[in-house]
Amino acid sequence: MKLFKESSIEVMLAWRNVWKNKRRTILTLLTIMVGCSMIIFFRATQDGSYEKMIEDSIAANTGHIQIHEKGFWDNQSIDYAFIPGEPLQSYLDKNSGIAATSRRVHAAGLVSFKNNTFGTLIQAVEPEREKKVSTLHTTIKPGGRYLTPDDGMRIIIGATLAKNLDAKVGDSIAMISQGFDGSIAAGNFEIVGIFRTLNPRYDQALIIMPMAQAVETFTMMGYLTSIVVRVKNTSDMEKTRDEIRALPESERLEVMGWDELTPELIQAIVMDKLFGYIFYFILLLITAFGVLNTVQMSVFERTRELGIMMAIGTRPRQIVTMVLFESMFISLMGVLLGAAVGSGLGYYFYIHPFDFSGYQKELEQFAMVTTVFPAKLTVSNVVFTSLLTFLFGVLFSIAPARRAAKLNPLKAIRQL
Amino acid sequence: MEIITIKSLIKNYDGEGLEVHALRGIDLSVRRGEFTAIAGPSGSGKTTLLNLIGGLDIPTDGTLTVAGNNLAGMSAKELSDMRLNSIGFIFQAYNLIPVLTALENVEYILLLQGVGKSERRDRSRRILKEVGLAKEIDRRPKELSGGQQQRVAVARAIVSEPELVLADEPTANLDQKTGAGLLDLMHDLNHKKNITFLFSTHDRMVMEYAERLISLTDGMIASDKKKKSLKESAEKKLKKQR
Ligand SMILES: Nc1ncnc2c1ncn2[C@@H]1O[C@H](COP(=O)(O)OP(=O)(O)OP(=O)(O)O)[C@@H](O)[C@H]1O
Ligand SMILES: [Mg+2]
Repeated sequence: MKLFKESSIEVMLAWRNVWKNKRRTILTLLTIMVGCSMIIFFRATQDGSYEKMIEDSIAANTGHIQIHEKGFWDNQSIDYAFIPGEPLQSYLDKNSGIAATSRRVHAAGLVSFKNNTFGTLIQAVEPEREKKVSTLHTTIKPGGRYLTPDDGMRIIIGATLAKNLDAKVGDSIAMISQGFDGSIAAGNFEIVGIFRTLNPRYDQALIIMPMAQAVETFTMMGYLTSIVVRVKNTSDMEKTRDEIRALPESERLEVMGWDELTPELIQAIVMDKLFGYIFYFILLLITAFGVLNTVQMSVFERTRELGIMMAIGTRPRQIVTMVLFESMFISLMGVLLGAAVGSGLGYYFYIHPFDFSGYQKELEQFAMVTTVFPAKLTVSNVVFTSLLTFLFGVLFSIAPARRAAKLNPLKAIRQL
Repeated sequence: MEIITIKSLIKNYDGEGLEVHALRGIDLSVRRGEFTAIAGPSGSGKTTLLNLIGGLDIPTDGTLTVAGNNLAGMSAKELSDMRLNSIGFIFQAYNLIPVLTALENVEYILLLQGVGKSERRDRSRRILKEVGLAKEIDRRPKELSGGQQQRVAVARAIVSEPELVLADEPTANLDQKTGAGLLDLMHDLNHKKNITFLFSTHDRMVMEYAERLISLTDGMIASDKKKKSLKESAEKKLKKQR
């Protein structure tokens, strides 16, 4: 920067002026750095926790995709059962993006033990396949076990339900429901395990039984209420779902992705994102005003100098360019620092996630299943945030730059 | 040949409610190569006149022709170009761009004019040598004395060999000896390069350097004298003082 470069005099003047008041420039850089890195870091924690919450929810019992008879999801009734056709079955078996599938039968029922009676959701599963689709089998409390295919009249139940019934592993509870054919389905089932998923919906009401038994108890005759699909990469869900939807028999089916299956979670995330955006916008404004203020002050201090520059033949356009380059240099350096610090923080909390498992009880009250929140740094977060911070800084400097160029040289020179 | 022709020049300022008649009918012509001082008490209109000649302000009435351009009807851009290409400016103080070195400040004009790099360098170096600042070329203005700064300003004003140099009280911030040195320099350049100098002052000593002395009073020309011999007597006076 020692030498003039052709046509880059404005750039060189801008660069030197940036460093004329080092203290002010450094303070401005720090402002931008803090603003930019905070946005990057907070977005990383948001992205990470959303992903974790979604993964947890998908993993616990929901799966990535569920296939039902049309109407099942709204009614949650055994009346909406179906037999998958050959094309669907072979798609599910052969698609390489699919990690596992499991068939389920859902029914509503009543259970009673001692003098306690509760309404429940009964979910029949193929235990060996189910283990590949969901993580519920990992949440069995000590002293119990998960189901095996030929467990017969044995079940596992949610921890809260067990507590409400005052039942424990080894107890037999009475269950009554309605079969697919309209007949009464009833029996005594032995509890072999109690699970705690941390999802209150499951822990309070869910009963799981082996599919082989459910076929008899509910007279299913080969019908089922849902097929749960787990894809290898969560990001492939949409593609797989759309392919299943394109199968001819899907006209009578509802093929739902995890986003449709967990609307409350999605809604909560959308709200959280919205508040995030408002917060980021405020941060952007603060940093942009920091740049604006610095540029404004620097122009104001140089009023006489700018007047002389114009008097000896500098064009107003060149003054605008020079001032804008000053703000670009400041914004760029601030943003680079911010991106570095923000990425560093994001990476640190990716390696060392926020761990709230000590507050599990409190979180459960808010139906929070996830207790460990890793940050997730994405390229788009870093690039987009940096770009936006930079643009805000430069855009906000247009006004003082134009004001500088509109100075009347005479009035400007008279100022000392 | 006339480089400045002024006819019935009037400049009024809108003071608060009151109109200030800064120039009240000036007729003046300056020939190429003249070394002219404009003197007069404070408020007599010296700065106003120089600003109008330099195209930095617009007259209320009258005609102004500078370096062949009739200033009336020139756009801001054209005036800016005229200032860049035909006129050199020296202001009272703080003329220089603080973040540029002495050499770069001088080069700046040539850069705006689009002169190529090596020529720019050579010419600026040569001029700085002529004003006696060969050793100071890489210093920034704040590392130069007031007199040195004004010398750089003179170098900047003449580096592009303009037809006219306008200087509003160029020595007002300097002590007498430094001021006299600056005037010697300007006078030398005037002789060597035939550059027209028009400067204002209310310093007696400075007036005596001028070959032509125009006195303003109350916005009008009170006297206009050519006095070739005065420079020598001024030099003698200065020698006696030492
Ligand atoms: N921008 C302005 N607005 C109003 N009045 C002005 C303005 N500039 C100058 N004047 C007035 O015009 C008159 C001439 O001013 P000018 O600056 O030309 O005088 P000057 O001879 O240069 O004085 P000095 O020796 O103090 O520099 C003064 O009465 C001054 O008050
Ligand atoms: Mg004046």
